[in-house]
Amino acid sequence: MVMFKRTTREDTKLLKVVNELLRVLGKEKVLSGIEDRLCYSYDGTKQKALPDIVIRPNTTSDVSITLKVANKYEIPICARGAGTGLSGGAVPLQGGIVFDLKGMNKILSICPEDFIATVEPGVVTKHLQDEVAKHGLFYPPDPSSAAFSTIGGNVAECAGGITGLKYGVTRDYILALEIVLPDGSIINTGRKTLRSVTGYDLTRLFIGSEGTLGIFTKITVKLIPKPEKIDTLAAFFCERDNAIDAADLVIENNIVPRTLEFMDQMSISAVRGYGGVTLDEDVKALLLIDIDGTGENIKHDLSVVESACKKKNALRVKVAETSKEREAIWAVRRSISPALYNIAPHKINEDVCVPRSRIKELLQKVDQLNDKREIYVANFGHIGDGNVHVNIMFKDEPGQEEIAEKIVHNIMVEVIKLGGTISGEHGIGNKKSQFMDLEILPKELSIMKKLKDFFDPKGIMNPGKLFPSSA
Amino acid sequence: MSNDWKNEVSKCSKCGKCHTVCPVFLETHDESAVARGRISLAEALKDKQIGYTEKLRDYVYSCKKCMRCRKVCPSDVDYEKIISALLRGVAENMGIPLLPKIIFRYILPRRILFDTLLKVSSKIQRFIPMKKRGQMRHLPLLFMGKRWIPTLAGKTALQKFRKTRKVENPRMRVGLFTGCLINYIYVDIAEAVVDVLNKMGIEVVIPQRQLCCGTPSSTMGDVKSSKRLAEENRKVFESLELDAIVSACATCTKSIKNDYMHILGPSWKNMSDKIYDISEFIDKFIGDMPGVKPIGEKVTYHDPCHLLWVRDISEEPRNILKKSSRFVDMDMADACCGGGGIFTIIHYDLTLKMLERKVDSIQRSGADTVATNCPGCVMQIADGLAGRNSNIKTTHSIQILQEALKNGETKK
Repeated sequence: MVMFKRTTREDTKLLKVVNELLRVLGKEKVLSGIEDRLCYSYDGTKQKALPDIVIRPNTTSDVSITLKVANKYEIPICARGAGTGLSGGAVPLQGGIVFDLKGMNKILSICPEDFIATVEPGVVTKHLQDEVAKHGLFYPPDPSSAAFSTIGGNVAECAGGITGLKYGVTRDYILALEIVLPDGSIINTGRKTLRSVTGYDLTRLFIGSEGTLGIFTKITVKLIPKPEKIDTLAAFFCERDNAIDAADLVIENNIVPRTLEFMDQMSISAVRGYGGVTLDEDVKALLLIDIDGTGENIKHDLSVVESACKKKNALRVKVAETSKEREAIWAVRRSISPALYNIAPHKINEDVCVPRSRIKELLQKVDQLNDKREIYVANFGHIGDGNVHVNIMFKDEPGQEEIAEKIVHNIMVEVIKLGGTISGEHGIGNKKSQFMDLEILPKELSIMKKLKDFFDPKGIMNPGKLFPSSA
Repeated sequence: MSNDWKNEVSKCSKCGKCHTVCPVFLETHDESAVARGRISLAEALKDKQIGYTEKLRDYVYSCKKCMRCRKVCPSDVDYEKIISALLRGVAENMGIPLLPKIIFRYILPRRILFDTLLKVSSKIQRFIPMKKRGQMRHLPLLFMGKRWIPTLAGKTALQKFRKTRKVENPRMRVGLFTGCLINYIYVDIAEAVVDVLNKMGIEVVIPQRQLCCGTPSSTMGDVKSSKRLAEENRKVFESLELDAIVSACATCTKSIKNDYMHILGPSWKNMSDKIYDISEFIDKFIGDMPGVKPIGEKVTYHDPCHLLWVRDISEEPRNILKKSSRFVDMDMADACCGGGGIFTIIHYDLTLKMLERKVDSIQRSGADTVATNCPGCVMQIADGLAGRNSNIKTTHSIQILQEALKNGETKK
C-alpha cells in the first residue's frame, strides 16, 4: 500500500478541493470516505494506492468541471474504467482524484449503414460487441477481460486480445474521440468517417496514452460485418518448435486464423487437472486456433490448418464438433492465468512482442535466462502476432523476487535485441516504466515528454505512469 | 473463530471478473457493491486500516450472497468465507439490530412461540392497507416491517403432516426439511413433495421438532443463533434413521447441506451427503416416472441463485418439467429475481429492478406458468407478476410433477 504523509497545508488544500467539488457536482458524485477510497485503490496488477477523492461523473461536463478544479489546485487525476488493467494504469500512485467512469456507460449510437458506433467510455467492451452483433456487426478487439473491462480503458491502454492477428488491436478501430484536457477544455479528434487524413492524427496520439494526456468522454469505433461462423481446432504437439513451425506453415499457406494461440509445457502442466481439464502427459505444446468466415471457406481453411499441423508432427488434431467442445477447448486457454498460481504464489505477467519470425529465438533466450531453474516460467499467448505472455512465477522465499526481477529485466533486453517491444498490449503504466528507455531512445522519449508537457503542463494527469522516473 | 477468510482475501487477484455476474453491481456499478470491492475492505480490516463503520456495514449488507462471484472466480476465492466473516465482524462490533436479535435468539428456537407470533402478526396485517407491493422472503425478518407477507396457511406443513403418511413396503424413507416459507405459507409445496414421493414408493417423514435452517441469522452475522439452530436440527435429523433428507427450498438446502459443514464441522459430512434438493433427489433415485402424463400448459423455469450457483443444479428441475409439461426455457433464466432476506429490505429499489427484469423474461417466454425450486423465489416472482396483473402462475416444479402424476391417473 502506497501511503503518503501529507502536510497540514496539503490537507487544507484537499479539504478545499472536496468542498468545491461537492458544491459543483453534488454529494452523489463525490466520495471521500475511506471505505470508498479503498474500493478504488487498485487494479488488476494487485497494486494499491489510496486516492483522496473518488469522482463518479455522469457527463462530459462533470469531467470538465472536475478537471478545472484539479488543475487549479494541482491535484493528481487518475481515470479508471473497470480497474482491470495489467500495468497499473488505474492505480492512483500519488493519491488525488480517481475518476470512476463506470457510470458513463451509454451506447450513444449504432449506425449500421455507416459501420460506426459512438459510446461513452464506461461501456463494457463485451456489451458493445453484443449490441452491435444485433445489427450483424462486429467490434473485433477482444482482450481476455472483454466481459468486464471498459472500452475507455481499452482505448487508454490500446488493448489487444486474441483476435489481433486477423483483425488488429483497439487502435485499428478507433475513429474519433471526445477528450477533456487537463484544463477542462473539450476537444474532438478524428472524424466519424471510415477514412480521414485531415491534419495530424491526434486520435492515435491519445490511444494508448494511459490517462496521461486527457480523459475520453466519447469514443467512436469502426465496425465490420460479423463473420457468419467460427470453428475451433486444437493441435497437440510433443515439441515446442513443432507447434511454432506449424503456426508458421498455416500462415505461409495464406490462412490468417481469427485466433492463433500457443501454450508451452509449463502452461500445460499448470492447467492439467485444473477445473477438469484433461491433457495427455506427452503433450508439450498446444495450438488453439479459431477460423471464422462462411461455412465454405472455414471448411477449406480447417483442412489446410489440420494438414499443416500434421505435417509438423502434431500428435493429435481435434476439431470441435459442437459449441460445447469449442467451449471446452477455450476453457483450457482461459484457465492458464489462474492455474499458474498452483505453481507458485507470485506472478509477473509480461506481454512482450517480437517479429513473428523470431518467436523461437525469444523462447530459447527465455530458457537460457532461467537455465538454473531458479524460478518457473510459463509462456503462452498470441503466437500469431509474436505477442508472447512470458509469466515469471516465484515463491515466497527470500531472494526469489530479486531473481525474478533480474530475469524480467534480462528478458526485456533480449526482446529489444530481437527487434521486439516491451509491451504488446498491456501498456506501460508504472509496472514497465523502468524499461521504457530500453526501447525508446532519448530523442524520441524527449519528444513524448514535450507532448506530455504541452497537454498537461502541471503534470496532474496520471503521474508516475508511462515515463521512467528519470525522464 | 476461524481465520480462513484471511487466506481467501489474499487469493483475490483483483482481476474484476466478479463484475460480470454480480446482480447488485450490474445495477449500481459501485465497486463497493461487488466481491472485489468488499474483499479490499476485508483486507483493510485485516490490516487494521479501517474499523467497523456504518458505511462499511451498508456495503457488507448490500451483498445478496447469491455466490455467483464464487462460481466464476478464476482464482478460486471462497467469497462465502469472506462475506460471512464480514457479517460476523459487523455483528460483533456493531451489534445486531435489536429486533432481529430477539427473533433469532429467542423466537426462532421456539416453534410454538414463532407460530403464535406469526399468526398474530398476520392477523394484524389484515387491518393494515397494502401500501407497498412486495413480500418478505425470509419469514423471520417479517417483524422488521416494510414488506408484507402473503396470507399464512391455516395449518402449517408441520401440523398437517404430524403423522407420517404410511407407504406399503417403502423403497426408501426420507425426511423433509420444510423451511419456514413452506411450513407457514406454501404448505402446498410440502404436500406435493409428500404426494409425489409417496407415489414413487417413498415414505416421507416430516420431523416435528425441526427449526428454521438459520440462514436469516447468518445473513445478519448472528453466528450464535445459527449455530444453535443448526445443533437443534442436527439432533432432530440424526435421531431418525433416514435414507435421505430432501428440501424444496434452495436456500434451506444450501444452508443445511453446505453451511452446516462450516457451522457443525466435518462430523456433519455423513448427513450432508444425504441431503438433496427435491429435483436432485428425483433425478438420482427415481429417474423414469411411468405414471407421468404431461399437462398441457407451457411451463418455464427460473433458476434460484442458491441452487444454480451453489449447487450447480439446473438440469434436474428442467428434466422434471420437460417430462411433466410443455417446457419452454426463458432468456436469462439464471438472472436473480431480486428476493433475498435483509437485502430486500435495505435495497428495495434494486430488488424491484431485478424483479422487473425477471418478469420481463418470464413474459417474453410465452409460458402459462413459471416454476422454480425455491419458495422465496416463488413469493418474489408471484409478487412481480401480480404487480403487472399477469395471468401467469407461479409455482414450484414439484407441483407441476404432482399435477402431471394426477393427470396420468385420470387419463388411464
